Amino acid sequence: MAPQNRRSSRNVSRRKFILGAGTAGLAGLAGCTGGSDSPSDGSDHTTNGDDSEAESSGLDSSVLTADGSSTVFPITNLGSSYWNSNPEAGDGDYWPESWANEEYGTDMRLADFFAKKYGYEPTGERSNPPFRTSVALSHSGTGVEGVMENRVDIGDSSASAEAELSGSGNEDELDNFVDHVVGVDGQPIVVSREIADAGIESVTIDQLKAIYRQEITNWEEVGGPSREILALGRAEGSGTDTAFRNNVYGDPNAPISPDQRFGQNQQLQQAVSQADNAIAYIALAFVEPEGGTPPIGLEIDGTLYEYGENLGAKEYPLSRDLHAYTWKDTSRKEAAFINVLLSDFGQEVFVRGNDYFALPEDRLQSEREKVAASKYT
Amino acid sequence: MSSQTSVPYRQRISQLSARVQDYRSRTADRAILMHAVGIGSTVLTFGLFMVGSDWTILPFLVLLATVGFGWRYYQSELAKGLTLLTTVATVVVLTLIIGFLLLRSMPAVRHMGLDLLTRTSGPLWSSNQGGVYALTPMMVGTALTTIIATAIATPFGIAGAVFISEIAPRRVREVVKPGIELMAGIPSITYGFIGLTIVNAYFFDAFRTPTIGSYFAAGIMIGLMALPTVVTVAEDALSAVPDEMRNGSLAMGSTEWQTTKSVTIPAALSGISAGVLLGVGRAMGETMAATVMLSHTKGFPAPPFDVFSGYGETLTTVIAFEGGNASGIHLSALFAAGVVLFSMVMLLSIGSQYVEWRMHRKLGGEQ
Repeated sequence: MAPQNRRSSRNVSRRKFILGAGTAGLAGLAGCTGGSDSPSDGSDHTTNGDDSEAESSGLDSSVLTADGSSTVFPITNLGSSYWNSNPEAGDGDYWPESWANEEYGTDMRLADFFAKKYGYEPTGERSNPPFRTSVALSHSGTGVEGVMENRVDIGDSSASAEAELSGSGNEDELDNFVDHVVGVDGQPIVVSREIADAGIESVTIDQLKAIYRQEITNWEEVGGPSREILALGRAEGSGTDTAFRNNVYGDPNAPISPDQRFGQNQQLQQAVSQADNAIAYIALAFVEPEGGTPPIGLEIDGTLYEYGENLGAKEYPLSRDLHAYTWKDTSRKEAAFINVLLSDFGQEVFVRGNDYFALPEDRLQSEREKVAASKYT
Repeated sequence: MSSQTSVPYRQRISQLSARVQDYRSRTADRAILMHAVGIGSTVLTFGLFMVGSDWTILPFLVLLATVGFGWRYYQSELAKGLTLLTTVATVVVLTLIIGFLLLRSMPAVRHMGLDLLTRTSGPLWSSNQGGVYALTPMMVGTALTTIIATAIATPFGIAGAVFISEIAPRRVREVVKPGIELMAGIPSITYGFIGLTIVNAYFFDAFRTPTIGSYFAAGIMIGLMALPTVVTVAEDALSAVPDEMRNGSLAMGSTEWQTTKSVTIPAALSGISAGVLLGVGRAMGETMAATVMLSHTKGFPAPPFDVFSGYGETLTTVIAFEGGNASGIHLSALFAAGVVLFSMVMLLSIGSQYVEWRMHRKLGGEQ
């Protein structure tokens, strides 16, 4: 689906693309909702291209499209699915009382509630949000390119647009990208149970560097028991290995020599819990604070980054921002959708629910300001 | 000079034409036509397949129709053709694979030169400095695990074979022999999983090895895996020794053990060595168990026979572990690892053939 769109859209106008993507999205939806959409209703939505935005309300209610990174996809796609379903307040699974009534004090449907802030009329109907959303799956580079060439509204990317554009000859377009960080993908540092129990609560970044270079080989040197350190890493040349070198040592080719390498998080988790002297960096889903893989903090320049506290911070080296780029400012429609992802509900359900770090409070505030509803009234 | 070479050449030509005439006189015209159509359609199918044509199906259907026709009217000629075809296909496919391996490993060879096989100073395996990829530590790793595995599989395998073939009562043999043959069918990942969860954990807990997993632990598991091969082949060789030889020895007054030691085992030695070498070949090529058990760090143990060191990578495991992430020179270096492994196993195989041939000559056609 995604590559086909990409290929075909090279030569067709944006309007045709939206028509195609929208129809495809609707076809998918019709399957889920038992055909509750009448075809004429659907075509009303999809034929509203850029040039026919002047509907009764004067708002652009064409399909919002996104494409890009498979890492960001779970967040935007889950958000999109919730949005399209437009569940009623009190739907226990998708828009429960605890969020709708207690947190937001509303009895409106999910998409209705968030869209209304941006001036959209609530529809009051299930599976009929004020505008539809459709998220495609490809690569970061495709997402950035897609938003630049106006094929999609939102470009998902797990790397910065700057990194994706470098060497492509489009570097001067960088200023036109508007960056919205919706979540953070990161890896906490974990140690064996015995080490955590012996009182190791954090290591400094310099100690971490030295451990993975075999310059520190005993836990005694970082304040632990007298025991060899078993430094565990990931397969040579894998994305995680390269990212670790790049973020911790500042060079993707930095030579490191862990004691043992593993291909998968599962094996890493097993080894850390099997050993009583291991240290590793592991995906969030495999951290067990009370189990065999307790997390420890990382100290950088006097700031302590701790699991469950501030690992989503920009300065935490074992993390990367998950971006949702828009092109030349952020339209009302784009802002309304990104705002859902940045809401407390979105951060909890779409970001934490997919085992990513939610943005820490200060970053969340600044991201929310970029799409604040007050800018669109 | 020219007359010397032209005579056998002319002889060969006349021999060939005699064989062609023989083939024509013994084969019906329609069968000859069948052979021709079969060969033509096979070559055409292959050619069209290689260029990715949509019409590949047509010559293939012609081939199938020819086979159907032959099955009905000229079965023996068809069998001749089909068996030739499968043999040619096997040889061609294997040649293409070897050619592909060599081709893909060329960039690494050009990049690293002889260092690929001889470099002993760091960095040994790094994307740094434009990519340094030396197979030396992996060759050492393969040698270490293979030696340990052989040291386990050989004595146990031969002793087991002697017991089953010469000492055990019939009833025991009938149960134990198929049992051991079944062991050869256990998938290697099962051994690897046991090695990972039990052997590795045991050595780590009991002896505090520097890493979870060592050449020694992996060598033990690989040795156990190679064991059924050694037992089965050696046992076959022992029981193939004619009873006349044993009876002759017993009639001369020697005991059963003296007979086994001085007559049966020497007579079966070629088969036993073939079994051991087959087992070694299996140990060398073993991938799955070693991949899950070794630590995947590259370096030379010091001293080189320190099988408990923190290093652990063999030619097979590096391919399995890094193949998914590799690109460019890195990928090419993995292909080179495949070529080195392939050459080592081939040498071993030639060695076993040679041993067998020597034994055959020395002991005469006693089997």
